[in-house]
Amino acid sequence: MVGRRWWVPWLWLAPTLALLAVFLIYPSIDTIRRSLLDDRSESFVGLDNYQFIIDNPQPLVSDTHSALLNNVLWMTLFTGATVGLGLVVAVLTARVRYEAPAKAAIFIPMAISFVALSVIWRFMYQFNSDIGTVNAVTTGIGLEPTAWLQDTGSPQTVVTEAGPDKLPKPFQINNFALIMVGVWNWTGFTMIVLSAGLKGISTEVLEAARVDGAGEWNIFRRIIVPILSPTIVVVATTLVIQTLKTFDLVWVMTGGRFKTDVVATLFFKEAFVVRDFGVGAALAVVLMLFVVPIMLITIRRFQFQEEIR
Amino acid sequence: MITVKALRFLLILFALVALAALAFAACEDEEEEEGVTPAEGETPAVAALGDVDVLAIWGGAELESFEAMVAPWEAETGGEMDFIGTRDITAQLTLNVEGGTPPDVAIPAEVGLFQEFARAGELTPLSECSGLEDTIKANYPQGFIDLGTVDGTLYGFFMKADTKGTVWYNPGFFEENAYTPLTADSTFADLVTLTNTIRDAGVVPPWSIGVESGEASGWAGTDWIQQIVLNEAGADVYDGVIDGSIPFTDPAMKAAWESFGEIALPEANTVQGGATGINATGFIDATLPPFESPPTAAMTYLGGFASGFITDQFPDAVPETDFNFFPWPGGGVTGGANIVYAFNSDETTCSFLNWLASAEAQQVWVDRGGFTSVNTQVGLDSYPDPVARAQAEQLTTAEVFRFDLDDAIGGALQLAYFTGVTQYLADPGSLDAILTGIEAARTEEAEE
Repeated sequence: MVGRRWWVPWLWLAPTLALLAVFLIYPSIDTIRRSLLDDRSESFVGLDNYQFIIDNPQPLVSDTHSALLNNVLWMTLFTGATVGLGLVVAVLTARVRYEAPAKAAIFIPMAISFVALSVIWRFMYQFNSDIGTVNAVTTGIGLEPTAWLQDTGSPQTVVTEAGPDKLPKPFQINNFALIMVGVWNWTGFTMIVLSAGLKGISTEVLEAARVDGAGEWNIFRRIIVPILSPTIVVVATTLVIQTLKTFDLVWVMTGGRFKTDVVATLFFKEAFVVRDFGVGAALAVVLMLFVVPIMLITIRRFQFQEEIR
Repeated sequence: MITVKALRFLLILFALVALAALAFAACEDEEEEEGVTPAEGETPAVAALGDVDVLAIWGGAELESFEAMVAPWEAETGGEMDFIGTRDITAQLTLNVEGGTPPDVAIPAEVGLFQEFARAGELTPLSECSGLEDTIKANYPQGFIDLGTVDGTLYGFFMKADTKGTVWYNPGFFEENAYTPLTADSTFADLVTLTNTIRDAGVVPPWSIGVESGEASGWAGTDWIQQIVLNEAGADVYDGVIDGSIPFTDPAMKAAWESFGEIALPEANTVQGGATGINATGFIDATLPPFESPPTAAMTYLGGFASGFITDQFPDAVPETDFNFFPWPGGGVTGGANIVYAFNSDETTCSFLNWLASAEAQQVWVDRGGFTSVNTQVGLDSYPDPVARAQAEQLTTAEVFRFDLDDAIGGALQLAYFTGVTQYLADPGSLDAILTGIEAARTEEAEE
């Protein structure tokens, strides 16, 4: 195959490589360059911008600590909840006759654009119980209305008291509210992928387990999950990368206000509202660094799969 | 030898090239068509003008009015306005200017960015458009001319001014309960007394306040604080805060915040039920409770543009009878205005700017309501209803007038100021820390 015309594969790859170079490699290098320059990208300031991120001297303008912690919360809670919920739904729907409509219903949120999603949920989360569905439900049960998107503390329930900063950063009620929206959106995706993986498990294995007397929970824990683990890893990786890209959801619902900033909204604010390109670029680089370990895992897995072949 | 594969490859290539050519041709056609559009009505002395790209914050009813204002210009000159509206105008403008594709004309409401652009040389001085600078110098109040001047050169002019010294109330409700609206000679203490009286009567909460506004949440609260500073601390303190000689941590400033808290914080004072509710209610939704039937609040404070929101929601509301305003106690008025400036001096742009600055154009929007003009040629009786007239009068006859403080400071400081308000409402005990944080944003900016 290779022989005389070694350059043919490169020829076919050339357009893609060119696009990657222009839209990915050049901007990345430029961003790293800008993160070492000052706010107008004129003079060299070394690691000052990164120091800014660590020190967080301007919590009212851009709270970098809050943003980083929020991102970590998103990465863990969002991924965990979506994968967990997707898995549960996939396993449960496999057992019922109305599997197809159930799956379709859960998948529909994926079809909506993020912005439309955010607008819908903004209305749902409204403080005024005449407009906000969630508050209408909670006041119907007898609780006080909660400012889901603005409250940085806990909800008003019989055991807890509403108010800001009652919980440690980043465990804020508005963060949970935002993550809930993300989970609602992406569960359909994980459910579909895991469901496909589930169908790939040979029924003989499951039957043998049942004959041996294993309960459903044991089957789930010791057979289904281990067999599905490669699929789960793929899905989880996709979701983590998705989290790091989350911008429109947070931006439309709260504008990053009330301590719900994530790194993506923060660097947008720094670059285009505060007009400090140095710090904005530094935040973008930090975001890239978050992604690197995940990329390494993915690449290693591809290599592993190639070796198996 | 030509293989099937090679043929297929050539076919696809040919299709792509043809597609590209088609797209290119289509673009060309579009341009030509617009340039040759015949003008209606009078025959223009010059060939029909091209497009003008306008970036502003309007949408909905305001946008319709702006388009109505521009329509006569389009009909007469054959030019066309391409409008982009976004509330996120600072971010959008920065993006466009840094990317090298600024709009032709920008009409934001804050001057911080305008001054930055002017100093960086991005804007065209108004003198480059024939007749424009003379019109402005002749027809606009000196205060507004000065605001549009940077380092001695006039770069922008103001249209659509708004007074922010208007406290809205329901006259019918006030009459029923024998409350007297305040006047410009009243004091802030009178306002607190009125608040307490209404609250103690127990019929409705005295105020409806909301500061939520997406990314800019908190600005409605800053309006309160600024009016208090201007009237209680004085114009000198106000100016000092803008230019930096008076820090946010100054006792006078702190006292203003605490006065705001005196009214906004107690749960019984606001229909939203205390600070959490204020943070969670949108600024537009907060203007409506006093005018519902029956009213669910007595008063609400927002700038003159609130009349537009009220008539939008209650189309049958009659100005002066169903809704009216009394001036903020003290006589000092803060206000905002939209500033118009341009990034080039093309023929189309200049013609457009000349039209916008004229009394004729502004009269169109005045007639539609919800617009106060700064052009002295637009007489007070042009205003369609007594409320609009009263606002224009307040703007032009105010003893002390100052441009909205947070719009004047702009940038990171403005952002910190907004966040500070929402945090103060959530946690009043941290006021000192908040004020220090806001002031830190100013020093940070100064260093850059």
